[in-house]
Amino acid sequence: MHPQLELLLEIQDLRTQRGGLADGTLTDVESDVFAVSIEDAIEALDEKVAELESRLHDDVRQRYRMMTAKGMRVVVPVLNGICYGCFMAVATAKASVHDRNARVESCEHCGRFLYHLD
Amino acid sequence: MLLREFFSPDTVRLDLEAETKDDALKELVSVFGLDEKSEGILFKMLKRRENLGSTGIGRGIAIPHCRSLVVNRLRVAFGRKASGLDFKAIDEKPVRYIFLIVAPPLEVSNQYLPVLGKIAQFGKEADVPDALAGLETPDDFMALLESKGI
Repeated sequence: MHPQLELLLEIQDLRTQRGGLADGTLTDVESDVFAVSIEDAIEALDEKVAELESRLHDDVRQRYRMMTAKGMRVVVPVLNGICYGCFMAVATAKASVHDRNARVESCEHCGRFLYHLD
Repeated sequence: MLLREFFSPDTVRLDLEAETKDDALKELVSVFGLDEKSEGILFKMLKRRENLGSTGIGRGIAIPHCRSLVVNRLRVAFGRKASGLDFKAIDEKPVRYIFLIVAPPLEVSNQYLPVLGKIAQFGKEADVPDALAGLETPDDFMALLESKGI
């Protein structure tokens, strides 16, 4: 997997975790069952996301920021040749999943970064 | 929604080899059959979640969980380490029973939270730790969930 794609995946997963805490969907279970301090957790996640963002290459970071500013999910899975960001078919090379994820690819329709699951 | 529909005997490990929390997480992640890189990302995400606060809820039970794009559907696994593992649990006691839950960032049926809640509820039942200690086969685990009606 391309290191920049791996970074983007990590950032997005952390942002998902943060989103669940900030929008309330995970707040009750995380605080009541696991005794997590929600405020501290959000702060820690923000710090980690900022640190990881700083490791993105300039061109990738610029596109990442443009998409996050619009509230878009930055990395989306590709399943059966379909981009799960815009649900359009994407051109896939005859390469293994491993090889395809070895490049930083974007959907030609919606511009999101692609993560091939199959 | 029944909890047992998400488990299968091949995702139940009654004799974890791991001697540490990290190794136990890696061992359980490996039951999903992902590629090495995806396993690494999942492990990293689980660790990041653990860094926010241990998922050891007490009475020997832990429920590590996270969402990640590297899985395309909700996956669960159960692992048992009879001698216990240091999980920095809420009650500071060793963890012997680990329920691992991973899910993609978005799910059509949004099962992640209900599954997490059901496992937490199951783990709080008084007789559950003893029942988990007495399991002899993965099928016994499935039967236990069935006997609880979950």
